Amino acid sequence: MIVCEQVERCFPAATGAVRALAGVSVSIARGEFVAIKGPSGCGKTTLLLALGGMQRPSAGRVSFEGRDLYALSAPQRNRLRAERIGFVFQLFHLVPYLTVRENILAGLPTGSDVGAAAARVETLLRQLGLRERAAARPGTLSAGERQRTALARALVKQPALILADEPTGNLDPANAAEVFRHLAAYQQAGGTVVVVTHGNDAAPYTTRTLNLVAGRLVEADRPVNTPVNADQPIPSL
Amino acid sequence: MSLADLILRELRHHWANALLVTLGLVIAVALLVAVKMTTAAAERETRRVMRDLGFNLRIIPRATDMDHFWTHGFSDQTMPEEAVRRLAASHGVFLSFNHLTPALEGRLDVAGRPALLTGLGETIVDPNEGKQPMGYRLKPGQVILGRAIATRLEARRGETIRLSDREFTVERILGESGTDEDVRIYGALADVQAVLGLPGRINEIKAIDCLCLTADEDPLAQLRAVVEKIVPEARVMQLTVLADARARQRQMAERYAQFAVPLVLVVGAGWLALLAWLNVRERRAEIGLWRALGHGSARIAGLLLGKALVLGAVGALAGYALGMWIALSAGPEIFKVTAKSLRPEPILLFWALALTPAFAALASLLPTMAAVAQEPAETLRAD
Ligand SMILES: Nc1ncnc2c1ncn2[C@@H]1O[C@H](COP(=O)(O)OP(=O)(O)OP(=O)(O)O)[C@@H](O)[C@H]1O
Ligand SMILES: [Mg+2]
Repeated sequence: MIVCEQVERCFPAATGAVRALAGVSVSIARGEFVAIKGPSGCGKTTLLLALGGMQRPSAGRVSFEGRDLYALSAPQRNRLRAERIGFVFQLFHLVPYLTVRENILAGLPTGSDVGAAAARVETLLRQLGLRERAAARPGTLSAGERQRTALARALVKQPALILADEPTGNLDPANAAEVFRHLAAYQQAGGTVVVVTHGNDAAPYTTRTLNLVAGRLVEADRPVNTPVNADQPIPSL
Repeated sequence: MSLADLILRELRHHWANALLVTLGLVIAVALLVAVKMTTAAAERETRRVMRDLGFNLRIIPRATDMDHFWTHGFSDQTMPEEAVRRLAASHGVFLSFNHLTPALEGRLDVAGRPALLTGLGETIVDPNEGKQPMGYRLKPGQVILGRAIATRLEARRGETIRLSDREFTVERILGESGTDEDVRIYGALADVQAVLGLPGRINEIKAIDCLCLTADEDPLAQLRAVVEKIVPEARVMQLTVLADARARQRQMAERYAQFAVPLVLVVGAGWLALLAWLNVRERRAEIGLWRALGHGSARIAGLLLGKALVLGAVGALAGYALGMWIALSAGPEIFKVTAKSLRPEPILLFWALALTPAFAALASLLPTMAAVAQEPAETLRAD
């Protein structure tokens, strides 16, 4: 589903360039639940953004479903992201002037049938424990509630791939487990999940763990769980 | 969610920001409206005050004995009254002359002592300008008396006086002027022609030059060229000090307006652009988010430009109202003579409403497009 070839990314900095990614090659198949681990600043977020078509690598290629992501035009890449990829940001990035429910709806591609998605939104609100807060603005939410809203926004469009950057960073173990169960259910239904995580909470669900150190992948762990059959249809909740 | 919905939601949520931006727009528009109104009023006032200095051109018969003219104050020769109509009817004459007034002047003994008598015909103004003709307007049988003459005759307003066996009603008595006007009697042209026994004749056409050239630009040569072509039997005298002062003052007022209005326009536009630009910059992270969610550039631009349009329209309306209020409350104190012509100008409202939102949107467009063109990951970092 995703193939990374020698992906590099440098950032200009006061003390020369920062090499956030120093040649990452990895292939992620459909139906996998991949965890990316590594110390802070090792390039996890940078890698995830590059996989999601949101940050162009300085060198190397990222292909998604057989298409070279960064060879596409910006509108094409947008469209692809809108329809196929759900992203949960480390810093949530919710729209401050929309309610929780509206923020979730904002995850739908423009022009999609909101009526048909409404039932899905209610299910997500219930499953993620956000029903009471559905009419609240992000400014009044706890960090955990924001994180769950961001997750719901990524899930609502039923994407082929979910990229989640520390989606449980602000949650207590019980809630974190709930979020991972949710992602796992999604993967079980045929989705592909890549999460950045620090702890081991995700271990029971992941099919593979990638260890990133200073912008490089060090030996990837052997799969623990079996990837889901790649021929399954696009997941639905 | 519809675009309009999103725009309104954002406005409501960030109402303090929207209010500040609108206030900024109001200040810019009000400043523009007030300056435009007052510079226009200043130009108008200058023209009126300068015009009230009186006629500055005297067109007299070519054969005039100039020694007589200067020692007596009027020409000893006459020309047909029709000359003024010939002059007025010729093409393009109002580019150089205006307020063409036929006059017949002469001396007359009143109560045994000399007096000056001036008959004024109907003033012809540029038909395209619709200006009020200047000077005194007298009906047949009416006269206006200079102060010294009124004293001499012990005449009062509304009373009847006799001049060469004819009766006239005193329409008005002038205040002391300190000029020969004090011993002058103004009457209707036909009456004075009858009194002086010169029916159908005039010895001067009074006028104002509207070239408004200063003395060094030699307006007299141009004025003479016009008159010589159309009324070859006449010549032009210019009261140069008056004409020059008038030209200089008017030119200054025009130059000042030409400087002040564009200056304020540029400052106002710059201020407006700055506000629009800052407003977009503040929302870069949001732009990045919409981008990350896969929304198209058109929709994102619509979101930001829509806000600029809404705030621009509100700012234009309120700014027009404020600017107008400032101009209308301060104006009459400054522009005493033309105070009445300070009126609300809907055309300015039209321009404010048309230009402010358009300009605010245009100024927002550049930073929006710049933000949209960046990688979402970069823009998202902006907060
Ligand atoms: N836009 C940028 N400009 C400059 N440097 C950047 C930029 N983005 C990332 N970096 C740098 O690249 C390195 C990797 O950053 P990244 O955010 O990918 O780390 P991370 O592994 O996600 O860390 P954390 O676990 O703390 O989230 C860091 O040293 C960071 O400072
Ligand atoms: Mg990170």
